[in-house]
Amino acid sequence: MKGAITKHVTALGMFAVVLWVAGCGGGSNTSSGSADKGPLQIWTMEDSASFTSLMQDFTRQTGIPVQVEAVPWGNVNDKLTTAVASGNGPDLMQVGLSLLPSFESAGALLDLSPYVKDHPGLQSSNYLSAVASNKINPSGKVLSVPWVSDVRILFYRTDILNAAGISAPPTSWTQFHDDAATLAQRGKGKYGYYIPQWDSALPVEFTWEAGGDVMQNGKVTFDTPQFKTAADFYISFYKDKLVPTASDFDQTQGFISGAAPMVISGPYLAASIKSAAPQLDGKWNVAVLPRNQAGTSLFAGSNMGVWAKTKHVAASLRLLDFLAQTTSQLNWYKTANELPTAKAALSDSTLTSDPMVKVYSTQLQDAKLLPLVPKWDKISQALLDSLNSIVLKGSDETTTLATLNSTVSSLQT
Amino acid sequence: MTVTVAQQEAPAPRIAFRMTWHRSNLVPYVLISPALVCLVTFSVLSIFVAAVVSLTNLDIGGLADHSQVRFIGLHNYQTMFGDPAFWEALGNTAFFVVLGVPTLVIGSLAIAIALNYSRSRVFRALRAFYFVPAITAIVAISLIWGNLYNSQFGLLNWLLSLVGMGPVEWLTDPTIAKFSVALVAIWRGSGLDIIIFLAALQAIPQEYYEAAAVDGAGEWNKIFRITVPLMRFAIFFVTVTTLISWMQFFDEPYVLTQGGPVHATTSMSLYIYQQGFRYNEFGFASAASIVLFAIIALVTLIQIRVRQSDAS
Repeated sequence: MKGAITKHVTALGMFAVVLWVAGCGGGSNTSSGSADKGPLQIWTMEDSASFTSLMQDFTRQTGIPVQVEAVPWGNVNDKLTTAVASGNGPDLMQVGLSLLPSFESAGALLDLSPYVKDHPGLQSSNYLSAVASNKINPSGKVLSVPWVSDVRILFYRTDILNAAGISAPPTSWTQFHDDAATLAQRGKGKYGYYIPQWDSALPVEFTWEAGGDVMQNGKVTFDTPQFKTAADFYISFYKDKLVPTASDFDQTQGFISGAAPMVISGPYLAASIKSAAPQLDGKWNVAVLPRNQAGTSLFAGSNMGVWAKTKHVAASLRLLDFLAQTTSQLNWYKTANELPTAKAALSDSTLTSDPMVKVYSTQLQDAKLLPLVPKWDKISQALLDSLNSIVLKGSDETTTLATLNSTVSSLQT
Repeated sequence: MTVTVAQQEAPAPRIAFRMTWHRSNLVPYVLISPALVCLVTFSVLSIFVAAVVSLTNLDIGGLADHSQVRFIGLHNYQTMFGDPAFWEALGNTAFFVVLGVPTLVIGSLAIAIALNYSRSRVFRALRAFYFVPAITAIVAISLIWGNLYNSQFGLLNWLLSLVGMGPVEWLTDPTIAKFSVALVAIWRGSGLDIIIFLAALQAIPQEYYEAAAVDGAGEWNKIFRITVPLMRFAIFFVTVTTLISWMQFFDEPYVLTQGGPVHATTSMSLYIYQQGFRYNEFGFASAASIVLFAIIALVTLIQIRVRQSDAS
């Protein structure tokens, strides 16, 4: 029984003991130029089969074997903490942009700035401006290089919009809201739009579109008139009953069934619709986001970083070079449907000939990163909690947003 | 001759040796020492480490570079007591305990008594049936219940629609979600409690019931005057273990709702988990786990006291 009581504290305590003891070990960087033949170990997100086949090309070219380990998104943080504490990590890792601050503050990534000048493929100018080196790295350092991009666009069901008398996708906030209202009148269980309740990027996108920003002088703030406009817009969809309130509403299912004929999501949704509902082909399309003052979208995606304690710096850099090549970037789009970050690959005719990719590319030119600060996880959770408690629990908007502002500033002291 | 003397004398030291062993009373300590060593290293020591860590700012940066770790006194506790989410988690845990523990103890006892009425094949099958949730993997449970509860295409809402009732937001309405999550936990926890009660029931001598029957006692009288009083210890045991496991309530909200919607199903344990393993604030999470530990220790002590005064 005593064991049962103590189980809780024990878990954390044991964790700390193990990590501290293990953390005492460590390695040194021993790379030996082009003679470095690996083998390399790389952590990627989710899709290991496709990545392994991409790596076979690399191994054929360089003779460096690569072992791919796919880490599910949900386990990334656990994987990172154990790797940091034990000092045993891979050689390279894919880092989602939102996770960059934790990886950086954990000291997990090697500063590549001494090496990039010898690797023209990794120059910041090759990549989209949203992920320019000075936007994704602390000053003077290069802790990761861009790998794939992802951008939010508007998905809409042409058949349903047409049936409701809407001939073109909305281009302004007013149209967006009006169209959603028209579509919601189709009957019970039918909505105009869907807001994912876990999506902290959406209110930030709305703030950008209202002409503002959530970062001011290096700190996150929601205490701006533009954020208020964004919050009002967000809340209006709930107030007018244009979106489902159920948090377990499934975006893909909702779009396919037509319950939510407009959603804002990334290109991965296109891939899931194509595979889950091929019969819908031609009945849906994508468009750039409706504008208010601006039409700025979220730039998401992943970077590639080199583990701080790797013994294969030279081989790792060759792999980064390989991944930055146009052919690799295009091959990856073909197998995994993830968009390139290299400008050369994005302007390749195989991509520009696809009308949907054209929309993605256009939107990528007007897309921004979420704030890359270590506290963003907590701040964005507070943001979602506040907005959701207004729309789901009926909390008072003014007082809830005031509490949010004081929480956010106290988190950053 | 000398040989026989030697043979006779040889066992003597062994006896003396055994005697000293008995006298020093070391034997019990030697026998429990492996368990004791494990308990000290894996439980007691860890609690002390957690207590020390709770006074620091240990986070992921501190893990990588120990020189960043600072002693910050009771700052973590101060922040925690000022965090509305902490109080909400504490309130939710209290709600789950108040709803879950009595339901589970009384419900399991009633089911166990009913199951004990017959040893026929049907009843034996029923016993296995009631134990199935206890041995089913939590991930499977979450998948099944998640699909039953789903507000878009869930079975429960479909059944409701058949009788002309509107959909219920089982896991997405802040109030209903609390009950939905608790229901799954009650369903899952009942198996083990029923087994313990059944074992205790079968230890009650049949003679008491026969004597009571001769005296003309009815079924209810037998249950309340023989069964329940003789099961006092089993009821106490089940209450204590159930109470502790509900104060550490974690699995069901973690897999079904991740603590949502808007913290409505975030228990203390889930709060600790989120702070520690999602935001990587190990110092803060340790502080919260020390608080939970203190609460559970206190409640258990009170129960043991009550039990002792009850017995004497």
